[in-house]
Amino acid sequence: MITALILGPILGGLLLFALPRTADAAARACGVVLALAALVVTLTGSTLPDESIAWLQRPFIANYHVGLGQGLGFWLVALLNLCTMCAIAVIKVPRVRDFTALMLLLEGSMAGVFLARDLLVFALFWDLMLLPVFLVLIGWCGHATAAWKYLIYNVLGGLTLLLATAAFGIAAGTTDVIGHGPIPVLTPTWAAWIFAGFAFAFLVKTPVWPFHGWMPETYVELPAPMVALVSGIQSKAGLYGFLVIAWVLFAEQMHAMVPVFGSLAVIGLVYGGCMALVQSDIKRVVAYSSLSHLGLILLAIMSGQPLALQGAIVYMLAHGLFNVALFLGLGFVEVREGTRVLSRLGGLGVSNPRLAGALIFAALAALGLPGLGGFSGELLILTGLYQAGDYWQTIVALLVIIVAAAYMLRLFQGTMQGPVSDDLPQRPDLSAVEVLALIPLAAMIVLLGVNPSVLSSGVEPSNAVIHALPLQKERA
Amino acid sequence: MITAAALQHAITAADWEALRPIIWIAGGALAVLLFDLCLPRGAHRISSVLLGVTSLVWAGGFLVRNYHTPYAAFGGAFLSDGFSVVFQGAIVLATLLSLLFVYTFEERISSAGAVALLLWAASGAMLMTGAGNLLILFLGLELLSLALYALCGMASRRAAREAALKYLLLSSMASAVMLYGMVLLFGVTGSVNFSAFLAPPPGNPLYLVALGLFYVGVAFKLGLVPFHIWMPDVFEGAPLPVTAFMSVATKAGMLAVLARIIYVATPAGLANKVLLPIWVVAALSMIIGNLAALSQSNLKRLLAYSGIGQIGYIVAAFAGATALGLRYALFYLLAYLFMTLGAFAVIAALSDQADEGARLVSYAGLAHRRPMLAAAMSFFLIGLAGLPPTVGFMGKLLLLSSVLNAGYISLAVLLIVGTAISIYAYAKIIRVMYAPMRHEVVAGAMSATWPLPWIAIAICSVAVLGLGLYPLVPSAVLPLVK
Repeated sequence: MITALILGPILGGLLLFALPRTADAAARACGVVLALAALVVTLTGSTLPDESIAWLQRPFIANYHVGLGQGLGFWLVALLNLCTMCAIAVIKVPRVRDFTALMLLLEGSMAGVFLARDLLVFALFWDLMLLPVFLVLIGWCGHATAAWKYLIYNVLGGLTLLLATAAFGIAAGTTDVIGHGPIPVLTPTWAAWIFAGFAFAFLVKTPVWPFHGWMPETYVELPAPMVALVSGIQSKAGLYGFLVIAWVLFAEQMHAMVPVFGSLAVIGLVYGGCMALVQSDIKRVVAYSSLSHLGLILLAIMSGQPLALQGAIVYMLAHGLFNVALFLGLGFVEVREGTRVLSRLGGLGVSNPRLAGALIFAALAALGLPGLGGFSGELLILTGLYQAGDYWQTIVALLVIIVAAAYMLRLFQGTMQGPVSDDLPQRPDLSAVEVLALIPLAAMIVLLGVNPSVLSSGVEPSNAVIHALPLQKERA
Repeated sequence: MITAAALQHAITAADWEALRPIIWIAGGALAVLLFDLCLPRGAHRISSVLLGVTSLVWAGGFLVRNYHTPYAAFGGAFLSDGFSVVFQGAIVLATLLSLLFVYTFEERISSAGAVALLLWAASGAMLMTGAGNLLILFLGLELLSLALYALCGMASRRAAREAALKYLLLSSMASAVMLYGMVLLFGVTGSVNFSAFLAPPPGNPLYLVALGLFYVGVAFKLGLVPFHIWMPDVFEGAPLPVTAFMSVATKAGMLAVLARIIYVATPAGLANKVLLPIWVVAALSMIIGNLAALSQSNLKRLLAYSGIGQIGYIVAAFAGATALGLRYALFYLLAYLFMTLGAFAVIAALSDQADEGARLVSYAGLAHRRPMLAAAMSFFLIGLAGLPPTVGFMGKLLLLSSVLNAGYISLAVLLIVGTAISIYAYAKIIRVMYAPMRHEVVAGAMSATWPLPWIAIAICSVAVLGLGLYPLVPSAVLPLVK
């Protein structure tokens, strides 16, 4: 049944090609139904046992081992399926059938990453994940540079991950180690190099400054539904890797690298925030804001403080939700007005009240309005960082949150308020389907905002994994 | 003298049994020529291909039987063991798939002649895989090469004649160098048997010189950097089925020789000295081959360069001289076979009498005109690039583990670097096929006339996917030591 979460979308996506080329509505409907089915299976499947099939005996033991559990993976898969459903519902691109199929392939491969309990399975889906995005970049976007940048960065990350996985298998004798079983003891040299390989892949995929070179252009070029998934969920794959692979299997090396990664996270946090302030392209604003938010989450993960870790998990989910909502909203703007330039847009709110409402909601969630998901995550992270004694990081993060308010409001005001640009089409307001697609996201953002402990059933086990280790920093 | 021992050895039925697959294929070639004389003009092409395929399938059946019964035939001159049977199987498969493209030959070329020559070339390559001494090795090599010289020129294009001449001159040169190495080896050790090289007279520097010359010949025939210059031109000029054959079958034969030398004829004391150049050549091939592939605009050339890189990966696995390395090198050879021949099958499906569909420009917008072909091509290219869910991914993983297991960590890193470079070369083709169309491309004469390449595409797709999910690695492959 867990396998169905992976194979269902992948095979379903491939079967979509059996539809006629012009069956746009049918393809969209099939995609929504498949994603909804996956969501239902996920939500009802938290007690499903792991599935494991022997795969390789030599040169090391690897099993096709997938499990849903109740931890972080469960919530990320649920988030993935929910967001895919909402994103597919509002696809508005040429060749909808092919695009929907690729969305489903991306969904299936990302589910594979979060469900994998074996490093080799993890690496396989990690590499598979980049294919649908690359195909969309070359098939639906005008500029080839975005595709090449995306491919080169992510292939380097993916191949390093593959090399590290092979090395781990050779050194430890098995790769069936994610989230269960005894932790293999490696010699320090091997462990250091293998950890470096994994960490590089995670840093690139997230992305973390200075490995974010592929991100702005990819986010700008991708059509809204795909970029929503890439920024909302695929970016969590790297953070997930840090939590369940790096902290668990390479705790010692992680401790050694905490100052380095922590500094990168702080730089990304500040840099992303400042860059978001000055962008003229609406998607670029969100791209850089995303870099900033991901930096904050990475900072929390690096602190290793329990409260901060809980905050990181809450914020990962909240960030996924509001980023998907933001990019879908900006996608509506882009499709309607035919431009993404902030200075050209303006006054859309007058004739598009629903669009304006959706966008302000997402923007407020992103800037951390109390009562919405972003706030509870930020609060937990900041409290945790403060308790861990990371005072100056806490102060920097607080300052950047003020910057976040500035760039999010600039984004909203620039598009929805101000004088109406008469030369722009001002096409009709959101349709019922588009509103319906945003409602589940909004509901979840509110739920996370008012009651983040809804995740607690999920946060505890994953914390238990983490707490089994000497994670608390020794402080002088 | 070992040959004397071989002569004294009473030849039994078991000896012929070991050679039977090769005999069937060589005999099949004669049958093809014979039938060509009797049949009416219109049926030539199909009858030649059918006869060729039949004899190959038949030979394949004998190979399956020979796999579990290792035997040193003719006093150790021809070794039929799991090792050589797997290589022979790869050659048979590659020849079979190449035969399916024979219809792309020009009308005026005798297809029976081409098929017969391909079969003889295959039997030469198969003879090399089981060679237990230098004489049989050279016999197989020359049978292979002579057939290929003729095959390369079998087209009226200027490029084909150029390819044939280039291949003839350079390859004979390499054969001469290799032969010189062999003669010196014989002079130093007093034997032509591979097993005699295990204990060379101590302190004779000539031994290393001889081995070096021998390796240069091998590297040339494999097209490893820095002996690869001939390959792209020959691959581009030769007719498509011949290019397909050369890219896999020829290399499989030569890889078998290289592996046998490394695994059974490398003295333990000299292993470091002997393996170092192999290490270096593998590393150079992985990097330079893939770098050169980046700028190619002809698919045959591109596959030639990428083949240099891919063979480099395989040789890298040999360089550790571990059992694991041999096993996974063989697995990757099979992976390479299906991925490359799958790509050639797509080229064949796009070819017609006038034009081989190898120019990159004719792939522009293919996804919109022939979506199935574009998808198949992308799948094979993804495999060559080492991305999941293909056998390329699994093969890369296994190769990496074997290289790491042998302790060559830097080689594993270079393998990753080479792969990263190659992905750009392959992705470029995918982009050409899938990029949105700026203007209508004239749908030229790009229509498959025969269903045969589709059969090849289907076989290769199933193998690339299936072996990727469930890697059937041949186990009994360590070469016989006689």
